[in-house]
Amino acid sequence: MEKEKLVDLYRQMLRVREFETKVTELFAQGKIPGFVHLYIGEEATAVGACANLRPDDYITSTHRGHGHCLAKGGDMKLMMAELFGKESGYCKGKGGSMHIADMDMGILGANGIVGGGLGIAPGAGLSAKLRGTDQVTVCFFGDGASNQTTFHEGINLASVWKLPVIFVCENNEYGISLHQSKHQRVADVADRAVAYGIPGVVVDGNDVMAVYEAVGEAVKRARAGEGPTLIEAKTYRWRGHFEGDPTVYRSDKELAEWKERCPIARFSKHLLDMDVVTEEELDKIKAEVDTEVEESVRFAEESPLPAPEEALEDVYA
Amino acid sequence: MAQEVLMPKLGLTMTEGTICAWLKPDGSYVNKGDPIFEVETDKITNKVEAMDEGILKIVLPEGSTAKVTQVVGYLLAEGEEIPAEAADVAAPATATAAPQEEVKAAAVPAEPKKEPVRVRATPAAKRRARESGIDLTQVTGTGPGGRIVEADVESYLEQQKELPATLPSEGEISAPVKATPTAVKLARDLGIDLAELSQERRLTKRDVLAAALLAEEGEEERVPLAGMRKVIAQHMLESWTVAPHVTINMEVEMDRARAIRKELNADCTQEDRISYNDLIIKAAAQALTEYPALNGTIDAEEIIYHNYVHMGVAVALEDGLIVPVVRHADKKSLREVAREVKDLAQRARAERLSLDEVTGSTFTVTNLGMFGVDDFTPIINQPESAILGVGTIKERPVVVDGSIDIRLTMTLSLSFDHRLVDGSVAAEFLGRVRELLEKPYGVRPEIA
Amino acid sequence: MRQLSYSEAIREALRLEMRRDSTVFLLGEDVGQFGGCFGVTGDLYKEFGEDRVRDTPISETAIIGAAVGAAATGMRPVPEIMFCDFLTVCMDQLVNQAAKMRYMFGGKAKLPMTVRAPVGGGISAAAQHSQSLEAWFTHVPGIKVIMPSTAADAKGLLTAAIRDDNPVMFFEHKLLYPVKGEVPEGEYVVPLGRADVKREGSDVTVVATSIMVSRALEAAEKLAAEGISLEVIDPRTLVPLDEDAILASVEKTGRVVIAQEAVTRSGFSAEIAAVIAEKALDYLDAPIKRVGSKWAPIPFAGVLEQFILPGTEDIIAAVKELV
Repeated sequence: MEKEKLVDLYRQMLRVREFETKVTELFAQGKIPGFVHLYIGEEATAVGACANLRPDDYITSTHRGHGHCLAKGGDMKLMMAELFGKESGYCKGKGGSMHIADMDMGILGANGIVGGGLGIAPGAGLSAKLRGTDQVTVCFFGDGASNQTTFHEGINLASVWKLPVIFVCENNEYGISLHQSKHQRVADVADRAVAYGIPGVVVDGNDVMAVYEAVGEAVKRARAGEGPTLIEAKTYRWRGHFEGDPTVYRSDKELAEWKERCPIARFSKHLLDMDVVTEEELDKIKAEVDTEVEESVRFAEESPLPAPEEALEDVYA
Repeated sequence: MAQEVLMPKLGLTMTEGTICAWLKPDGSYVNKGDPIFEVETDKITNKVEAMDEGILKIVLPEGSTAKVTQVVGYLLAEGEEIPAEAADVAAPATATAAPQEEVKAAAVPAEPKKEPVRVRATPAAKRRARESGIDLTQVTGTGPGGRIVEADVESYLEQQKELPATLPSEGEISAPVKATPTAVKLARDLGIDLAELSQERRLTKRDVLAAALLAEEGEEERVPLAGMRKVIAQHMLESWTVAPHVTINMEVEMDRARAIRKELNADCTQEDRISYNDLIIKAAAQALTEYPALNGTIDAEEIIYHNYVHMGVAVALEDGLIVPVVRHADKKSLREVAREVKDLAQRARAERLSLDEVTGSTFTVTNLGMFGVDDFTPIINQPESAILGVGTIKERPVVVDGSIDIRLTMTLSLSFDHRLVDGSVAAEFLGRVRELLEKPYGVRPEIA
Repeated sequence: MRQLSYSEAIREALRLEMRRDSTVFLLGEDVGQFGGCFGVTGDLYKEFGEDRVRDTPISETAIIGAAVGAAATGMRPVPEIMFCDFLTVCMDQLVNQAAKMRYMFGGKAKLPMTVRAPVGGGISAAAQHSQSLEAWFTHVPGIKVIMPSTAADAKGLLTAAIRDDNPVMFFEHKLLYPVKGEVPEGEYVVPLGRADVKREGSDVTVVATSIMVSRALEAAEKLAAEGISLEVIDPRTLVPLDEDAILASVEKTGRVVIAQEAVTRSGFSAEIAAVIAEKALDYLDAPIKRVGSKWAPIPFAGVLEQFILPGTEDIIAAVKELV
């Protein structure tokens, strides 16, 4: 892979990390209302998967969707403004963190319903097939969602109709507070692919190159009309299920072990070891990302709140 | 929760008001929107409606004066009492008006509480009854379950219409008497038979009192000088005493005005129609801008010249008169003036004018023409300096160039305050009004 | 004019819209070769092929989910749910996804999809295949709800629904499928949100939906012989609702019966009654009466079912309580 692409993977992961780190501060300061569910620790999965996609490809996302949105080309300023509930935000303040969408970038929405996107993604795949394009759809969901109706019905439909959909399970070990071992008997969600007659692949979700390659393979199959793939990325969220979650269900030791496997630190070390980049170059990227985040906060803070009556608009087309 | 009944603020300048009558007896059940008492200010008498439903507890008796927003009574739920602290607060406020014993007497129900009468009637029937001002307790229901339906109200109204023609002869059962609850109670207390009183309209407390006095004193009728009558009496006396009145008359030909009016009213909705009075108001308003003395006011050692014409328009009521005000009549078009006069007059008759709508006039037009009066000497509406009286418009023989012609004419009577206005100025002003009416194109260009 | 059955009229609307717009496609259980559980899609499979008349697994969530995803990405799907009772299985995709996507995304998404589902009892199909669940969807902002009562309305309203850029629930009554009526040929659109006066009258207004319209017309015929004149109003679309038409009729007659087949409690008739009470109370010359199913699931045995479901006689009885 050429240097430019490698550096971009690093930059994208850092954008997600710095954006969300800023969100933790802003949330603590009371500047962001409602719920926020953060993706810190899982950046390699979204970035590795989306690096295979074109702007006209689709993704469906989850309530933990900031990483997917940024990786698929979402505008950080519009995202931050939406988190603030501002008029200039992606959804004009009507959606918030859980419903960010960008139809022009193929981002069919974060989703407040666990497994919601598993129903919708096959529809986007069907649409591409009926319209005769080679667009693909990546459907992100968690280990918790793999027990929902939509997981079974959606993957089955995509399989039987050979739809161009890549199902990416982000197994972060917990369905809210419940450890995977307590919510399903299989160790690998990918094993369930057998039930639908499609390939199932397990990948290290904290290794951006591994995710990139596994999803790349699946995208190739999908574009060729060979149907869907189920990919399970093993990863871990550093923050609680939501900001404010006391995380009584896991140990500090477990968290510390996963932090050792930080996807960004791993990848930057790899880039330095392989002499792809210098420390100075990485510092420069960090400074650029910091500036982008600060600008997004300024944009959000300076934007006006929506007019209350705006709440009645956009109910119908 | 006890609901307070407050002395309302009925206009920008009102600070206090006098309760001239309670329209519902103490302890009676009132519905939201029922008129419950009458307030008198120095300008107007107004009925105050209940803001809620409940059992009425009167705190301040008739004749008391209360500050705006002061509690004058309560609306209570069944079994509820006036809040203790509120009863204490209420007492001193009445000191200026009535001795405390009287308050207590008023607060004690005069008779055992009666269940409120619930009439079973459909909303449509209730609406029809409201529109025609009839009492549903007098209507027999024929709908399902004995409900009064709209058709029952209609047939009751038909019946009422036929009533005078078929007045029962002696001994026959008479139609139910229409009377307010207060009147019924008073009649019972005073031993008056309501059925013997005139039935042209709903009988009120006043009718009963009058009948009682008549019974006592034979040929004479004595009623208290109160309310609007009292206000009118004071104002007329004050004006006649303070202003040396002079009245001048002038004949005006109205043929041209008639033609113009006909033209303006062609293809015109009822509410946009222009009356002769509107033309006269507009002509006077225009002339007043040219003769400021007639539009002025004497204020102690100073004369106030108003740079606007707020035209008072006298409106006769059933038992008095009121002068609502068309503000900036000089700046408004003829049609605007006409619409506003119509609206004000209608609401005046319905007792729906606010205090602000009957204050601040700078000149007044009063019209007795419809009663066949040719000319008269109107009394100035203080603190104005003049008033224009309008006589009957009719065809009269007029000498034109040595021969007799038939022309549509009327007489305008201008009374003016000779302290401020000289005879010649008054005559010039009146001449200008005549000119504007005889050549009404001078008025016309301002039509919107 | 030519006569078509209600189901033929629906099929004709589907056919014409599929010919007119290549993004329109059908999906659902047994809608293809089999022609639909009630035969509504019929031979469309032959004309348009299995891509545009798609047989799906028995997966209602997947059907509606696929429709949502396709609609959000430029298609105009017309999913069929075999019985409206099965909508319970895919409520999340309808209520949380389809209805709210446009709004949640700040107006940036468009969800042109029309969900067809048969409602109604009368065929001994028992409790899980006989309900009328339209009221649930009228409670969700973002969805439109249609209930045609005649073949012509079915064609015109379905055409309008398919062309509408919002999620639309289109409820067909099973017993109406074979009922014939005059249906205009070629393109025929009945705008959403416009009620139809099915019969003019002066004494009592009957606001009726779906199959209750024909029962109200029967009642009107019988009562006319007794000198009672019914005005029958069919709202046709429940959301948006043509309040003006209903209020105008109530203002004229002063009496109203609202007839639906769904259970009366919390039915759409309650909403219509509330609108009348709020906006035309002063014109009511009698209480508002509702006619609907009694408070029980729909039973199997014909005698039980007929007892539960509302009929012409129930409308007549309700009217007689008011006059």
